[in-house]
Amino acid sequence: MANRQVDPITLSVVRGVLETTQREMTLALEKTARSSVFNLAHDYSTALFNHTPEMILQGQDIPIHLGSLIPAMKSVANFFEGDIHEGDLILHNDPAYGGSHIIDTCMYYPVFYEGELVFWTVCKGHLTDIGGPVPAGYNPEAKEIFAEGLRIPPIKLWDKGVPRDDIMNMLLTNMRARRDQEGDFNALIGACQVGARNLTALMDKYGKDVVQDCIAELLEMANAHMNGLISQVPDGTYSGTAILEDAGHGFGDFDITATVTIKGDSCHIEIESPPQIPYFINSYEGNSYSGVYLGLMMFAQLPPPYNEGLYRNVTVDMGKKGTLCNAQSPAPHMNCTTTPMETLTDAVRLAFEQAAPDKVSASWGHANGCNIAGWDSRHDEEYVTMVLASIISGAGATASQDGWHACGPECCFGALTSGDIEMLEHSYPIIIHEYGLMEDSGGAGKFRGGSGTRWAVEPLDTDMTLVTFGEGRRIPAMGAAGAKSEMVHKKVGRLEITRDGETQIITDNVIETIKPGEIAANLNPGGGGFGNPFERDPLKVVEDVRNGLVSIEGARLDYGVIIADADTLTIDEAATAAARAAA
Amino acid sequence: MRTQYRLGIDAGGTFTDFILADKKGSTQIFKVLSTPTEPTKAIKNGLALITEETGLTAQEIVSNSDLCINGTTVGLNALITHTGAKTGLIATKGHEDSIEIRLGHKEDGYRYDPDYPPATMLVPRHLRKGVSERVISDGTVKTPINEEDVRAACRYFIAEGVESVAISFVWSVLHPDHENRAAEIVREMMPDVRLTVGNQLYPQVREYTRTSTAIVNAYLAPILQRYVEAIDAYFRELGSQHPVRYFQSNGGLALGKVVSDQSVYAINSGPASAPQAALDVAEPWGDKNIITCDMGGTSFDITLTKDGQANVNKNIDFLRYRIGIPMIQVETLGAGGGSIGWIDSMGLMQMGPQSAGSEPGPACYGQGGENPTTTDANLVLGYLNADGLVGGRLPLDVDKARAAIKANLADPLGISIEKAAYGMFTIVNNNMVNAIRRVSVERGYDPRDFVLMGAGGATGAHITALAREMGISKVLISKLASGLCAYGQIISDVKYNYMAPAPIRLEGGAAAKKLDDLFTSLEARGRVDLAGDGFAEDRISIRRSLDMRYVGQVHECTVEIDPFEVTEATIEDIKAAFHARHKELYTYDEPHNAVEIVNVESTIAGHVDKPERMKIAAGKGAHETLKGTRPMVFNADGIAQDTPVYDGSAMGAGDTLHGPAVIEEVTTTIVVEPGWTVSLHDTGVYVVTADAAAAQDQSVQQKELAEV
Repeated sequence: MANRQVDPITLSVVRGVLETTQREMTLALEKTARSSVFNLAHDYSTALFNHTPEMILQGQDIPIHLGSLIPAMKSVANFFEGDIHEGDLILHNDPAYGGSHIIDTCMYYPVFYEGELVFWTVCKGHLTDIGGPVPAGYNPEAKEIFAEGLRIPPIKLWDKGVPRDDIMNMLLTNMRARRDQEGDFNALIGACQVGARNLTALMDKYGKDVVQDCIAELLEMANAHMNGLISQVPDGTYSGTAILEDAGHGFGDFDITATVTIKGDSCHIEIESPPQIPYFINSYEGNSYSGVYLGLMMFAQLPPPYNEGLYRNVTVDMGKKGTLCNAQSPAPHMNCTTTPMETLTDAVRLAFEQAAPDKVSASWGHANGCNIAGWDSRHDEEYVTMVLASIISGAGATASQDGWHACGPECCFGALTSGDIEMLEHSYPIIIHEYGLMEDSGGAGKFRGGSGTRWAVEPLDTDMTLVTFGEGRRIPAMGAAGAKSEMVHKKVGRLEITRDGETQIITDNVIETIKPGEIAANLNPGGGGFGNPFERDPLKVVEDVRNGLVSIEGARLDYGVIIADADTLTIDEAATAAARAAA
Repeated sequence: MRTQYRLGIDAGGTFTDFILADKKGSTQIFKVLSTPTEPTKAIKNGLALITEETGLTAQEIVSNSDLCINGTTVGLNALITHTGAKTGLIATKGHEDSIEIRLGHKEDGYRYDPDYPPATMLVPRHLRKGVSERVISDGTVKTPINEEDVRAACRYFIAEGVESVAISFVWSVLHPDHENRAAEIVREMMPDVRLTVGNQLYPQVREYTRTSTAIVNAYLAPILQRYVEAIDAYFRELGSQHPVRYFQSNGGLALGKVVSDQSVYAINSGPASAPQAALDVAEPWGDKNIITCDMGGTSFDITLTKDGQANVNKNIDFLRYRIGIPMIQVETLGAGGGSIGWIDSMGLMQMGPQSAGSEPGPACYGQGGENPTTTDANLVLGYLNADGLVGGRLPLDVDKARAAIKANLADPLGISIEKAAYGMFTIVNNNMVNAIRRVSVERGYDPRDFVLMGAGGATGAHITALAREMGISKVLISKLASGLCAYGQIISDVKYNYMAPAPIRLEGGAAAKKLDDLFTSLEARGRVDLAGDGFAEDRISIRRSLDMRYVGQVHECTVEIDPFEVTEATIEDIKAAFHARHKELYTYDEPHNAVEIVNVESTIAGHVDKPERMKIAAGKGAHETLKGTRPMVFNADGIAQDTPVYDGSAMGAGDTLHGPAVIEEVTTTIVVEPGWTVSLHDTGVYVVTADAAAAQDQSVQQKELAEV
């Protein structure tokens, strides 16, 4: 136990108040935001920082933002050092200053108490548009970041309490669906205010010094906890390599390698990735932290809340500047929060699998989704959005159970919600013909991976621009502990466009125009399995067949279970025993 | 009341409470153990107990009661234990999986937990059958219904022995014909099956919510039907002159037929009567802003009433199932007398949510429990009488409580047992305070504008501490506190909710007309239903609510209005109410931006006469009821001071005392912290108020606390 400076009871109470504060910020943001990407996908994060600035509390946010707020906050505070005043409000999105991708815009609100900077309340959210040539920001044809949208270095949106309406107008003038973007900026600002209000009340009650002492202690306790977990891993160097598939750039598949060195209670993670490429999958350092921390969290399996103390003894080297996981301007990057982040996470997870085999689960299906845009003739206005229901993949199986169906992608880990299909059809001029699980999509294993989903859409009465992003269309989610699948083509994602009765299968990232009467179906991969599928209880396989999650052919190929009668689903015991013995 | 008695029966998880009110203003509470596997048995046992204690036979009471009211947990239990009916779903082809996809979400707090299982499917995938048909967002038909698909589904259900069927199609709320036609086919092919039709049960936009609500309803309907039939028959046998009323989670009563058809309304009814009880208890003071806290052995339930209207939840996850229908908001926290104190992996002291339950129970029960619990802390602090709870029927062992706290908390943290006990008390109170924020601050309300009301047996020990933490200056505790929910049920009105989808932008005369027609038709249906149930026009009241948002927002906020004619002019009032509510909730509004409605609802209530209030004779002064003193701890320093203990059952109206003190009632103990004054009102309510000077000292005291 850490060396206490403070009353243990007050400490518990302060922790509770910090947690409640973050929860209330989140609610304010979620309930008022326009962008379905942040109020349904929960593609936002709210965090509290102290004056240094060190992250003192982050809740159960989307893993995409697990690490990226930390370097961003430090970069922003550094930029305005000596010029931070009560009533300032800072806006920023640029990855060159620690941001993730530019469509994630971030507000930083300094909280002063008795004239002194004590805290920052910080909110970040994925807008529906950030300007640039392609609606919703994802541009598979971009060769540079400049072709993706508006870069915003740290700027003051409020200056000593005075809103700079000219700046806000400049920003909104450059963005599509202005009303929605304006509403989302308001939501972010509102959430920062809620946080500041609560922190001020906390200091009123206990005094600034007591609160700060408690926070210092909480950071130390988190540090001690993570150190304890790391100490349980034998000293040594462990390495994992994951393959990032070529989703249309033509440069081929890439290896991303993570090397984890454990020495006592410290952990050093080194990333090696190929040189950056003129395609939207480069990840700047801030975003890469999230990928690494998610891999770490799959090992640590900690419940929320989190603070920066967890990472004090975890050092990360993202590799050379100018590489895929440590990109620099002008590398295009919009897809980075899913691709290559998920492959980076897999590499870290694989390294930890060597280090602590009992603590690791299978990979989740990677994101491969759609953005849509066009004209809504019902209200005579433009629309643009990322479609969350188009990226719902299966979760990886764990050492104790099957993966959850429809819970991914990996970079979200169940944090997002996909939105009600009636609300989507109400908000956008589309018809969703299908949103369901897919047979044989879960990775085979003693514990089966969760099923992926198929989402099929038709525009209501006007042409729709559809942009795809991500990967996982050739390489399925990785299994763990000896899991393997035969029917690989059922476990990967793809886009299927049906025009005049002809279906075209597309595995690259594309910009397509879909007309009324045409249907675009986006398939998302299942999760990886855990353990040898031939050890799965045949009765569980039959239950999956009854429920349409595994086909009769899948039972035979993936699980070595031979079903003799398709109606009664009786097992041919002898044939099953033979098939399983032959493996 | 036209007859002699009114009988209320509230079946809880552990106890079934009986409340018998008679015309002359006496109200009595009786408790028997619940019998979850055979719910009617507890009712028979309870009536036998009443006979034993009052000499009145079950027949005498029931045949002479104007209302017999039943709050039941049979639906809740079936949902918790997954023992509902075998259920099939008929859905739009392509959308059979929405209840398993669950919007793609894993519950917060379990993100990296490898062992947290998915929610159990009430309808497994093979019993979810798709039908080719499609209505689109403007209510027009894109694909006509394929009736053969419905028949094929029925044939499969028959072969599988399905007992209950839910039908839920996309956009059925804008064009119910397809669902209604499918229902006809199911009735024809499966005449004995229970049937739930989405657009009839929950006519609101949101397919996932509607389908999930319909499934929960279908899953519980046969269970509720069997229960209601058994209860109705039993009460008829006893000579009941009126149908039994059942309490619903919307805070109102309903006929048995309604509860067995709309069983989803019955799932969390128990605590939903607290707001009604609170308003009644507080009526002599005219308080209409009330937060109720009900602490039992394992949980702590909170409700909030603002301007006389209880907070309502719609579209929430309940026991991991999405339920749309309006339910009284009950925030439940795992913080009861049995909640266990422990040190987490980071080294922080925590209280709950794990509970020692009643077996083995707190360490001080001496039944083998070794974990320190809230009750153990309260005993060590001197708040509870070691002679025992429940009038001495359950003696408490202080040494066991001290040993448990020492071993698990005080020694590891390096502090004294008393300090650790006061820490447990403080932390559990803070957990409750954070939960109270969910019904207040998160709903845009400042808790300091509310009165705090105690309910349940264990709340009394914490109530002044909670009020202090929240900055609340007035607390009410009824002598009926331990059975407050049962009391709330017997004074509740009959209440039904009528809903309609209304995806319209709030602009212009046409929109106003559409909205006005909608409300008028919903309320006409309500009036017919209540008139059929014997309510005259002057006993019917209406509340309207609209789920509204700025165009482009994804979530709505609910705005409540009185019934008035909706015109182009009054639309502005509705908008103004929305802007105000948005600002109250989220710190800002956008008066220049377009506003739209998604769903509307009218709540129609039929008023029921209230029984007479309890009357307490004037007392001779609190000093007459002083039982003695006990050392008690009221500070973080853990130092005890001798504190007076009063006998609540001997106190009379007007008796007044000052904290620190403890009032012992038979089923509860009220701890009055320093700085509070208590006086017993002649309606049997303890009125606890913060002394003005004490309020001043509060912040000082808290700073001291932080520095110890």
